[in-house]
Amino acid sequence: MPVRPDNEVMATGDRTRVRSHAASGPSTPLVEFSRIEKAFGAVQALDGVSLAVHAGTVHGLIGANGAGKSTLIRCLAGAVRPDAGEIRLEGERVALSSPADANDLGFAFLHQELNLVPKFNGLDNMTLGLVRRGRTVFADKASARRRARQVVEDIGLDLDLERPVEELSVAQRWLVALGRSLMRRARLIAFDEPTAALSARETEALFGVVRRLVADGIGVLYVSHRLEEMELLCNTVTGFRDGRVVATLERAEITRSAMIRAITGGDPEALTIPKTDDGEFGAPVLEARGLTRKGVVEGASLSLRAGEIVGVAGLVGSGRSELARMLFGADRSDGGELFLDGQPIEIASPSAAGRAGMGLVPEERRTGGLFLEKSAAFNLGVTFPTVGRGLARGFLRSRNGRQRARSVAEKVNLRPLELELPARNFSGGNQQKLVLGRWLMGDLRVLLLDEPTRGIDIGARTQIHRMMRELAEGGMALLMISSEFEELLNCDRIVVMVRGRITEELRGADITEERMLRAAYGGASSPTTDHEEHQR
Amino acid sequence: MSAEPASVARLPGLRAKTALNIASKYGTIIVFFLMVAVFAYLRGDVFFTSANLVGVLTDGAIIGIVACGLTVALITGEFDLSIGYIASLAGVVVTGLMTKQGIPIPVAILIVLAICLGIGLINGFIVTVLGVSSFVATLGVGTILVGFNYVYYATQSSKSLSPGFLSISLTRWLGIPVPVYLAAAIGLALWLFINRTVVGMNAQAVGANPEAAHLAGVRVDRVRLYGLVVSALCAGIGGILLSAQVGSGEPTSGDGYLLSGFAAAFLGSVAFRNSEFHIVGTIIGVLTVGVAFNGLAIVGAQTFWQNVVQGGLLICAVGLSTVGRRLAER
Repeated sequence: MPVRPDNEVMATGDRTRVRSHAASGPSTPLVEFSRIEKAFGAVQALDGVSLAVHAGTVHGLIGANGAGKSTLIRCLAGAVRPDAGEIRLEGERVALSSPADANDLGFAFLHQELNLVPKFNGLDNMTLGLVRRGRTVFADKASARRRARQVVEDIGLDLDLERPVEELSVAQRWLVALGRSLMRRARLIAFDEPTAALSARETEALFGVVRRLVADGIGVLYVSHRLEEMELLCNTVTGFRDGRVVATLERAEITRSAMIRAITGGDPEALTIPKTDDGEFGAPVLEARGLTRKGVVEGASLSLRAGEIVGVAGLVGSGRSELARMLFGADRSDGGELFLDGQPIEIASPSAAGRAGMGLVPEERRTGGLFLEKSAAFNLGVTFPTVGRGLARGFLRSRNGRQRARSVAEKVNLRPLELELPARNFSGGNQQKLVLGRWLMGDLRVLLLDEPTRGIDIGARTQIHRMMRELAEGGMALLMISSEFEELLNCDRIVVMVRGRITEELRGADITEERMLRAAYGGASSPTTDHEEHQR
Repeated sequence: MSAEPASVARLPGLRAKTALNIASKYGTIIVFFLMVAVFAYLRGDVFFTSANLVGVLTDGAIIGIVACGLTVALITGEFDLSIGYIASLAGVVVTGLMTKQGIPIPVAILIVLAICLGIGLINGFIVTVLGVSSFVATLGVGTILVGFNYVYYATQSSKSLSPGFLSISLTRWLGIPVPVYLAAAIGLALWLFINRTVVGMNAQAVGANPEAAHLAGVRVDRVRLYGLVVSALCAGIGGILLSAQVGSGEPTSGDGYLLSGFAAAFLGSVAFRNSEFHIVGTIIGVLTVGVAFNGLAIVGAQTFWQNVVQGGLLICAVGLSTVGRRLAER
């Protein structure tokens, strides 16, 4: 096993990716994990994991969902207590028994749930819990706020601190949360999937901030499924599989293929999916003409044909999700018409959409898709329950239902294949398979997928793409929304949305990342930084 | 997963985890059996007589019906704070209709059930159409009902109730009073409703995650309406049985079912499950409180101890479960 780094040595040499003043030559790691073990029930989540994070570097963690990255970070956060092994801070062993301990040691954690107070503005969120009594009995808000402004200025955050957090974009919320952890003099900051909901431009801005943090000597742990970010940002990347460290890559070794090999243990070539040949699609199944929702979507027209996967490209906020939700009846439209098999149809609610043979895999898997505490079988069976005939129509036939759920679960390759296990206990990829599988329980004509592989590891992602292709080949019409242009390359046709309008349609050889990017940024003129960013 | 010898060393930790998981899932059951053991030890001679056990069931029957109905609303994620006042109203109106208006027993009962159905629909309308939280909606409706109770009761005649009506609660089959059978039948029917029908499954889905249920094609508002209607109907049935049992309908006689109904449902939510409302749990919750009250009576404790014990039980069982789960998840 390639595990070792008790005395890992920071290699010197050119440092083009990240400028930092971490000492060259041997140094004590900022944080060092040593032979960490952790079991949840029968599952060994961490199996003797050792790794070292150095000050002034970005250390990436990669691996499939459930490989152990999150558990390791939760050990550091004091949220999970390791069964064995130790954590050292600058060579000193530390005991982390609660999140407060982690906080006191200067560890900060930024993940999808940012825990900000929505009604408070940026300043209040940053100073929350830090405001002390001044000379009077009243809280000395001013000095805390002064410090907050200083922090924001030092790190160069582009942020309106007076606006309530609920009015800020997702990217800005990340910055507020980051600012808050810097108020507490963080020495190590762990980012968990920070860019999952960010546009390319926002991602670049966040990278700038991370680079400045590192330049100030802060250690960064960085978890992401987007491998190109790892190439751009990380000094070291550690690959996890089944709770073990399977690869430690340094700078030049951090390549896409090396990372894929680490995550899947297999050959990166096997992960591309063959596209169907151009042209031969069936009749339009679902057609929208002039679909409008004020201020969000303006006169969108598109048709989905049997056997075709249509991709929707666009920036965050361009109206892509809203379009899908309108097609599905989840949001009301202010105008426009829908046709199913050429017949006008009114879809007023998701239940009407379901009866018409339309399904939606929503953007927010956990909040909008899953019943986390309910079993896999429940999650699969909720939309198209297996019922009796005649008078027994309202009653469930549990045995038949279980059989059908099992056959769908096998079809979507659910792992583990345990239908009584609560949805919460499945990995992100398998949770998504449950949401997808739910629609395969009925006779579906149209499937709309909104960011179907966000936050999902590359193995499960490929499985989902392959499944989508199989469904298309079976005659289904599919629509996929994705913020990752690379993912959209799998589609047969692309529509691009800019500020609520469908501005361009790409087919065949025109489907390239560059064309999509250019169209998404709304214009023929070459989009400067973002474009180059993506090509790297 | 790994079959290495190292995993043997972790076994003690695993065992502690399992114990904690058991504590979190079986909090109420553990408390229940502890109590039975204590009372059996103290006064087993009295406690384990069939007369006493039938007494426990009889005392639990009406509250069981009200609590099971409430559980259906809770499963859909809605609170119903009007159940106690609905029960009072049902008692006042059913007795009034018979003594003042001279309406025959079955007709009076049907009218009262129709009124309760209407109240459930009003609750549901306020929650689903107006979008007011069920907490506020049912609190408001319940408070209005208190007023109605007094208005109608003020003009109540002093004629006594017919023996036919009283016999509803007093008749015994095989030595067990009718309300116990009725409670069992309603409990079974609601269990089937929740676990074996499409609407029941949808109710669970809405309670578990309304947004996901909506996007999965469940008609969320309709399900919420059903829950509040079932809750109101069961409260009404409870109120009618109570008035037959005590021989009168007082304007506040059913109010206590609000707190004891919720206590039973919450006690039940930690029986076999991790803090999830379900019918079987609620029945266990009712029996737990019933055994506690009965035990206190046998040992000769004063009645105020009942409140202390009911509150204490609730906190112990739910607390045991919550702490157990928190520790097990670390």
